[in-house]
Amino acid sequence: MVKSLDIKLLRDLWRMRGQALAISVVIAAAMATFVLSMGVHRSLVETRDAYYDRYHFAEVFASMTRAPRSLVERVEALEGVAEAEGRIQQYATLDLPGRNDSIRAIINSVGDGGATRLNQIVIRRGRGPGIDQAGEVVVDENFAAANGLDLGDEIDAIIYGSQDRLKIVGIGLAPDFIWAIAPGELMPDESRFGIFWMGEKALEAATNRTEAITSLSLTLERGANEQEVIRRLDTLVEPYGGTGAYGREDHASNSFLDNELMQLDGMTKVIPPVFLIVSTFLVYVVLGRMIRTERAEIGLLKAFGYSSAAIGWHYLKFAIAITLMGIVFGSILGWWLGSAMTDLYGEYYRFPFLNYHVSGEVFLGGAALSIASSSLGAIGGVRAAVQLSPAVAMSPPPPPVYRVGVLERLGAKAGFTAVGHMIARHIARWPGRSAITVVGVGLSLGLLFSTVQFVDASRTMLDDFFFRAQRQDLTVTFIEPRNEDVLYELTSIEGVIAVEATRATPVRLSFGSKSERTVIESASADATMMARVDSGGGEVGLPPAGLILSRQLAQQLGVAVGQSVQVELLAGRRITREMKVSATIDELVGTRAYAEEGVLDSLVRDGAPVGSALLRIDPAMRDHIIAELADRPVVLGVTERAAAMRLFQQMVEENILTMVGFYIAFAAAIAVGVVYNGARILFSERAHELATLRVLGYHRSEVATVLLGEIALLVAMALPVGLLMGNGLGQLMAAMFSSDLFRLPFAPSRATYGFSVLVILFAALFTALLVARRVNRLDMVRVLKARE
Amino acid sequence: MSVEDSQALRTAFSARELCKVYETGETQVHALRGVDLEIRAGEVVVLLGPSGSGKSTLLNIVGGLDRATSGDIWYGDTQLNTLDDAELTRFRRANIGFIFQFYNLIPSLTARENVRLVTDISQNPMGAEEALAMVGLAERMDHFPAQLSGGEQQRVAVARAIAKRPGVLLCDEPTGALDSATGVRVLETLERANSELGTTLILITHNAGIAAMADRVFNFLDGRIASIDVNQTRILPSEIKW
Repeated sequence: MVKSLDIKLLRDLWRMRGQALAISVVIAAAMATFVLSMGVHRSLVETRDAYYDRYHFAEVFASMTRAPRSLVERVEALEGVAEAEGRIQQYATLDLPGRNDSIRAIINSVGDGGATRLNQIVIRRGRGPGIDQAGEVVVDENFAAANGLDLGDEIDAIIYGSQDRLKIVGIGLAPDFIWAIAPGELMPDESRFGIFWMGEKALEAATNRTEAITSLSLTLERGANEQEVIRRLDTLVEPYGGTGAYGREDHASNSFLDNELMQLDGMTKVIPPVFLIVSTFLVYVVLGRMIRTERAEIGLLKAFGYSSAAIGWHYLKFAIAITLMGIVFGSILGWWLGSAMTDLYGEYYRFPFLNYHVSGEVFLGGAALSIASSSLGAIGGVRAAVQLSPAVAMSPPPPPVYRVGVLERLGAKAGFTAVGHMIARHIARWPGRSAITVVGVGLSLGLLFSTVQFVDASRTMLDDFFFRAQRQDLTVTFIEPRNEDVLYELTSIEGVIAVEATRATPVRLSFGSKSERTVIESASADATMMARVDSGGGEVGLPPAGLILSRQLAQQLGVAVGQSVQVELLAGRRITREMKVSATIDELVGTRAYAEEGVLDSLVRDGAPVGSALLRIDPAMRDHIIAELADRPVVLGVTERAAAMRLFQQMVEENILTMVGFYIAFAAAIAVGVVYNGARILFSERAHELATLRVLGYHRSEVATVLLGEIALLVAMALPVGLLMGNGLGQLMAAMFSSDLFRLPFAPSRATYGFSVLVILFAALFTALLVARRVNRLDMVRVLKARE
Repeated sequence: MSVEDSQALRTAFSARELCKVYETGETQVHALRGVDLEIRAGEVVVLLGPSGSGKSTLLNIVGGLDRATSGDIWYGDTQLNTLDDAELTRFRRANIGFIFQFYNLIPSLTARENVRLVTDISQNPMGAEEALAMVGLAERMDHFPAQLSGGEQQRVAVARAIAKRPGVLLCDEPTGALDSATGVRVLETLERANSELGTTLILITHNAGIAAMADRVFNFLDGRIASIDVNQTRILPSEIKW
């Protein structure tokens, strides 16, 4: 009994293959984005956790100017500390042959053969450095690859003011440098910033720090209170120029990775649901229509003795079969895209292994969600099929009731043609279905718009950060803050046009129970090169007293303008002062505070207001200036605005444009699915009328107008709806993707509106024309012989 | 001469050796097996015969809805079997009014709008209101088909067919779904179109009584015209015995 119904099911699927496929594609998109983001998210989390665990990534970190190695024992004795380890971390300037830009490395001291207890090195090739072998280093894998370096190669470096020749004995990685960025830079650049490891004794000798350390890493005992340990550690480290201990959440590498994971998580929450909603709609519409056309058959089957449940299940199976196709295709696509995306992560992050695997749970979860949404869409139709009594089902359905609408009464005066009336009344006759087409196409537009606007968001960031906020050509960072003499020294370099000082002082800001580690950036009130630009584009000047906080920071602290925050200096004089918040500023990058140079000087009182120097230079003299700066031991690094900008643009083009490419395809898939199903249903409902028009002497193109006109009207209605939804989705995603590190602005350009609309219009037009071709195959004779 | 120009015709249709073969899978159905005919302008012709004898096939070919497999069919001096799809559409638009058993009105349009569907695309139509008045529906012009009786719907279909002042009205069982009183009213409007507008009327029916209102009756059998009866006098629809 069930078997013949199953044969009908297969034939129905084949007969409606176009519509079924269109729905499957939307479900596949939901499944693919779900598997992609969940799969990559879980793979990254598992990889990170395994890496941290296996290579003993520390939990609390502290840096200081210089402390005796014996401090480690005292730290280890602190309550809650499981293990502690001290090391020297030293920046160095590298001189790679043929390279005329500032290349830097951070050198970490390690035990003999590279052994450490915490933040262990993964030796990929070669060996660890000897504890006292001068010049032996392990170089991180990404830096080596980016610069074509290999075992046995030698590099000239300036370490702590003196020239050294380094020899690569190993290629490695470590869990505290999964993501690494040079000081003063915005983006990681593995060709210009490397992570090196050198034997402890060798680095002590090179930096004149016998039996001394500059940084501490700790692990905690189970159940230890991290905040308490940090507080005690700060007390211990303070006399040695400590800059404030912090946990993993403030660790640069870890927090950047967390940020990425949060974005992936956000993607899972926003994008697959959009596709699922559309698939629910489509199943609702298609199954509803199918059951209406099969009304007589349903009656007949019931008259033969098929139970209502068997018939309901038959139609539900139709929806589930379509969903299963989508699930299978989407799983494969999602798995493949996830694997490609994981590879991309492998390029940006320094992982020793990156195991991409999607667990069965993810597939099952996605499949369950897909089936649930399709079933939800099927409920209406299935219920209608179940409730239909055989006697009612076998008599023809009552004719549809049409009415002259209010709008049409007005339109009639404006000269509606009869065909115009047909279109308007059909839309009004099926308001639910029309609304679904409008909302479905709208969602596809919204999704496209909200992803394309990321390009604008990145451009706005680029514009704000590199064009409005920064006007210097070079930023010269010093090993430690200098007095103003250094400015005159820099001005004397040929080709330097102007020099300004700026300084970033590490502080802990507290308000009530909340506190945040950050920096206060200071400059003179009349400095012009580095400006603070509000998200509105306006510049905010430095007040003669008090602080400016980035709005994000003010929100985290819960402080308002006019209130005072506690400022605890984390370097030099460890004092705490109350300072008034005199303004907040909406910035896209970072969470910082700003103060006028004099205001900060009165706090720090070290007579060294120059943390870094901003230079405007004659472009023709650029190479000369870079070379001059490289020779100065006080210089830690030089950042070029133009290079940073190029890197940022490259990142935008590689990643965001690839992502946008995917979403163009996905959004177009929705538009195609919605329009195709809408048009096919429209065509099947109107085949009789369209044939009548042909008989009456209407040309094919005129008849197609009836079909296309209705779709065009619905798509036109979908455009404002879609842009509205796109605005909402875009703002939601911008908010979800924003973090302490940066905030994505929602600033779509007109081109984005235009582009999104064009893509959807093109997809809709293409699909509608595909269906309109059926007008050519209308059999006038057959249709007119039959009662409608 | 263009297909639009139909006023000066003396012969409406002529056909020579008209054949139509339908291919359905592996079997061939010979719907017409060599039909010769001549129909004069302004004539009333009834096609009689059992189901499957070829009446509807002929009507469809004459109306430009279908093409003959072989043979020639002329409308005046326009050879229909050489026209492409767009030319056939133009031919229908200009010259032919169709009336079917099941009305084929557009349910979303009122009676007036159903007629306007045709007047919107015609060269020299009468007003939709005038056409509806001719069939006695002046009072019900703004009703939707679902609000009209079967006979009223068929009269709207007649009004729609005559509104463009066609040279020919082709009617396939126009009274097939109607009771006798309603059927007579529909036939009266058709007769009026013939007598007042000079429209050629070709009418398929199973009802032999209706044959009495024709000038000539073509009796179909097995895809051929088996015989032609000529009525010396035509009776009025009201005199028809059902």
